[in-house]
Amino acid sequence: MKAISTALLIAIFIPLGLYAAAPEVAEAAAAEGNKITMITEKFGVSVPTLIAQMINFGLVAIVLYFFAVKPVVKTLDERQQKIADGLQYAEEMKTQLAEAERERAEKIKQAAIDAQKILTEAREQSKEMIEVKTQEAAAQAEAIIRKASEATELERLKMLSDVRQEVARLVVSTTAAVLSKELSDADKQTFSDAAAKELAGSAS
Amino acid sequence: MTRDKKVLRFAKKLVELSSENGIVTEARVSDVLAGLKKTTVRNKGLVLKTYLHYMRRAVAEQTAVVATPGALSAEALAAIESNFTKVYGRPITATTTKDESLIAGVRIRVGDDVYDASVAGRLKRFAESVN
Repeated sequence: MKAISTALLIAIFIPLGLYAAAPEVAEAAAAEGNKITMITEKFGVSVPTLIAQMINFGLVAIVLYFFAVKPVVKTLDERQQKIADGLQYAEEMKTQLAEAERERAEKIKQAAIDAQKILTEAREQSKEMIEVKTQEAAAQAEAIIRKASEATELERLKMLSDVRQEVARLVVSTTAAVLSKELSDADKQTFSDAAAKELAGSAS
Repeated sequence: MTRDKKVLRFAKKLVELSSENGIVTEARVSDVLAGLKKTTVRNKGLVLKTYLHYMRRAVAEQTAVVATPGALSAEALAAIESNFTKVYGRPITATTTKDESLIAGVRIRVGDDVYDASVAGRLKRFAESVN
């Protein structure tokens, strides 16, 4: 837009410049034998009219520039800036979107890796735990069996001991009862004398 | 406590006075009791009780109590007296008591020592050895 306005100004002021340089041109033309004068006269071009028209055109151009072209150019510049900003924003958004997409993909990938890692660790831990629990259960079962076996053995021994003691008690009580009935006083005295002598002998 | 110790010491002294060559004799005991009756002693009752306790122990230590379910021959008693006198180094007198629970045999007690050669004792030891 600036280029357009610059071209317009150049188009306005070049003829003025040409006119300002007209004396030299005229002199050159005079030197070449008034050919251009002849042409202007032939085409009916009047210098004052031309100058007035050029001034008018310049004024119109200036007015147009300040009241029409400049606001339009400004508006166009603003719009262009907005469009550029929008494009830049869109580009940034696009970049951010791509970045976000990349980060999302990385996070998903990392999450998948982490999940896989956690799953692997969980599997290993569960496997270890299963092994440990299995070993503990086996040890406990073995201990229970061993204790039960020991308890059974102790019970058996205790029962055996009880039976022996009971048998011994019965034997002793029966023997005592039988001996009390069967031994005569003479037998008892004989036994007592022998026992007394045995005790006296063993004590010495 | 101090008084008890004094009583104990006095009672032991009386027991020593009651024995002659380590043997408690009735005559010495009578003398001691007569002397004790004449003298004024504090806690005479406690002294006499303690003296009785020590005397019972002394008599028990020089007596072999032979428990038997029936009669025992004089020869066996003499053998017990002579052998236990030799063992303990002091005169031991044997006395018999009847104990039907022994079935047969004898059980002799000298002081705190017990010698058992009875059928009941042997059966008891047999029952205890079975387990």
